[in-house]
Amino acid sequence: MTILTTILTLAPAFGGVSEPSGGLLAIKVGRAETVSGAAIEHAVILVDDGKILEIGADLPVARGIPVFERPDWVVMPGLVSCYTRLGVDGRAGQEFSPEASPTPEVQPRHPDYKEVLEAGVTTIGLYPPGTGFPGHASALRPHGATLAEMLVDEDAYLKVYFRANAQAKKQVRDVWSKVDEHDEKVKKAKEKFDKDSKGKSSDKKDDEKKDGEKKDGEAKPEEKKADDKSKAFVPPEADPKTKPFLQVRDGELGMLVSIAQAADWAHWVDAIGERKLDFSLRVVMTREIDLFEVKDEIGKRGVRVVMEPQISLVPGTMRQRNLAAELSASGAKIAFKPRNDTVADHAAMLRHVGEMIGAGLAREVALKGVTLEPAAVLKLEKQLGSLEKGKVANLLFLNGDPFEPSTQVMAVMLDGEFVSGEVKE
Amino acid sequence: MKLAHRFRALGALALAALSFLAPPAFAQDGDKKEGDKKDEASKDKKDEKKDEWFAVTGGDVYTGTGAVLRGATVLSKNGVIEAVGHDVEVPAEAKTLDATGQRVYPGLVAINSNGLFGMAAGDFADSVDPYNQRMLLALASGITTAGQSNTALKLKRRDIKNVVLRERFLATLSFTNSNPSGKREWVEKFDRAARYLREYRDWEEKKREQKDLKEPSSSGVDSTAKAILEGRVMARFNASNREDLLEIARLAQRFGFRPVIDGCVEGWTVADELGRAGAYAVVTPRDRRDKEEQLVRDGGSSIENAAILHRSGVQVCVIPSTTGVDLGGIAGRDILHLPIEAGFAVRGGLSDRAALESITIVPARLLGVSHKVGSLEKGKDCDLIVLDGDVMHYQSLVQYTVVEGKIAYDKSAELFYAHIRPRPSEQLAPEARQDKGESEEKPADGAGETPTETPEESPKPEDKPEDKPKDG
Repeated sequence: MTILTTILTLAPAFGGVSEPSGGLLAIKVGRAETVSGAAIEHAVILVDDGKILEIGADLPVARGIPVFERPDWVVMPGLVSCYTRLGVDGRAGQEFSPEASPTPEVQPRHPDYKEVLEAGVTTIGLYPPGTGFPGHASALRPHGATLAEMLVDEDAYLKVYFRANAQAKKQVRDVWSKVDEHDEKVKKAKEKFDKDSKGKSSDKKDDEKKDGEKKDGEAKPEEKKADDKSKAFVPPEADPKTKPFLQVRDGELGMLVSIAQAADWAHWVDAIGERKLDFSLRVVMTREIDLFEVKDEIGKRGVRVVMEPQISLVPGTMRQRNLAAELSASGAKIAFKPRNDTVADHAAMLRHVGEMIGAGLAREVALKGVTLEPAAVLKLEKQLGSLEKGKVANLLFLNGDPFEPSTQVMAVMLDGEFVSGEVKE
Repeated sequence: MKLAHRFRALGALALAALSFLAPPAFAQDGDKKEGDKKDEASKDKKDEKKDEWFAVTGGDVYTGTGAVLRGATVLSKNGVIEAVGHDVEVPAEAKTLDATGQRVYPGLVAINSNGLFGMAAGDFADSVDPYNQRMLLALASGITTAGQSNTALKLKRRDIKNVVLRERFLATLSFTNSNPSGKREWVEKFDRAARYLREYRDWEEKKREQKDLKEPSSSGVDSTAKAILEGRVMARFNASNREDLLEIARLAQRFGFRPVIDGCVEGWTVADELGRAGAYAVVTPRDRRDKEEQLVRDGGSSIENAAILHRSGVQVCVIPSTTGVDLGGIAGRDILHLPIEAGFAVRGGLSDRAALESITIVPARLLGVSHKVGSLEKGKDCDLIVLDGDVMHYQSLVQYTVVEGKIAYDKSAELFYAHIRPRPSEQLAPEARQDKGESEEKPADGAGETPTETPEESPKPEDKPEDKPKDG
């Protein structure tokens, strides 16, 4: 998070080049899809310092502020692709390495990043490859010359690859028993510490009674020491392989659990037991998938599901199902990822999601599914993913409705700076 | 002397005959205690909650123990049968299933199966896939319990809890004339185990008086052979040759255990010997095998095999030739045709009753779970099927499959057979009617509805070809 703020404070220096008046810019468009609320016709967005200063219909713009006016355009938040391996290779291992991060592999200036940015993707979540617990994902901007410039959040979510088998279930159970062990250790250390400090102070009193002022001088530094210790009680350091799970439990780190069928869900729920866990699901969409069997259970938990915008079939039949629409109707949240992890499918993302709307998905769910929900998977929903006051000015300009197949990307703004499109006045 | 000997032999014969005449349940229903204790514990827990009652009323109940109760009721409490019969008082809060004019049978038991529990081949408790289509299809053909990888498993749809009923009840032995050294080894193992058990019993007897008597050493005693002789596991053989069958019968009689014989194609030629040995035969009535023409003796397969074996006192279990679910076109010989296969045993002369037992209680015994499943009796799991005709008739369709007091399959609610002789709408279960109404409101919700009145399912006009995703 600190990295994000540094980027934001740096942002005007970048943006300042194209915008002479200290970064303040008024954007007037025909329609703004805010995602968080209703769409705004004749929208005006004031951008300052890489953030949205104000947004509303027909806001008055003070004299002297440069105005970027496109009455035919539609603006929406930049797309968020929260589950990708763009620009890094696809090697996968079977190591148990929850502490690993994919960022060392990142090659800034990789052509793929530029291309998806031009297609409107302003935030990406890079996940670590592999099965079991391969590591955690990081959130990046697909723009910048160095990793530091690209990085938004190093620790976005812990990736878990779970399939219904005894080995995977054992691994999950082991992980959480390790967490419990650590908690027990902390508790014991704390108790011991409290006892020690208490014991010392009472010892001191006894000493005073016995020996009067004689030992006073000796006892004092001891007492002081104890006080220092109690102020600075440091719980024992967690094992680096256990720490990520503590972070997940404490809500500091998200968790994304990859499953491929209804049975995986059932066994995952069985493996975590009564434990209250906040996790998102990665559902690997296949032609035939039986996840509709557990849609109500998934919905009841209000889980966020990362999935491809694809129509599936009831196994063994040709009966089509719109799993995204069904899950959403049951109460789950939908975050879409491109059908394939390619630049082309990133570019076709809106069209593919549009097909899901045609097959019964609610439009607002679809809009959130490409912006706010994937941002939430990355735990960035407070900073980006919708057009709201105070959020990062990641804007995608289109020449029509986002889900119309004929609509094209006209321009892209990242952190208040135009990074693609014909935007000269 | 000679006379006395003959008398003894006669006595033994009579005893053997008696043991086959008597209801043959108790021999392998041994491990009741453990299961019952568990049941009671879970019952106590459930008593704190609300009891779940379920009743199937008005059907002709084939209990699987020989009785047919016309227009009777099966009442289940928390998944266990509380009562079977006429004049059963059904609690007001019970869910009921009207089976008037239909037949009610125990859930079928397949001794071998493949793929019904997902891709898993072991560790079923941690890997069973209770949503897969093969399980649904098996339930649709009436199977509620199946064996796989020497594990007895319950077909519990949408549930991963308590799927494993029993593990490793059968020990497969290689004992054929084509492997003489293996044969010899087993004889030695049994010999040794038998000797050890005799010594052990002797020691148990004597130690009351001589407390410091040393316990006989069990080192070198084969644990499988010992377990078989103690009746904790059953010995399973794969044999079809007359000579092999005779050898197995002799071995079993010598050491006093009841062999389970897979295949048993030429069993009909030595049925008396197998009967005397108390054998179980796992047969496939449609198996074909030619007689060895150079031999004078009888041989080859016979459609009457099951009937002849049964007549001689062999307990017959039927299994189709393929134990997986086969949708590839070689229809009629996969696990979904378990009752049809039993029908072929009837064609060969097996009685209806014995044929029903061959796909219910007998395989349950061989899986070591006959104290829980295999017949409709008080105290057993409420696993039953409701059919519109004889279970072994090719035209009959399973209407409902109930597993542990819950409907696990309803023909009209699933895609596969709903359109064949559809049930009139007013006969649908309330849930199915509701589903139907819901699906009419939500056309986007692609499936799950019950096409009862429209037998043909045409693709929807809005299906776009580009919507069809590729395989992942």
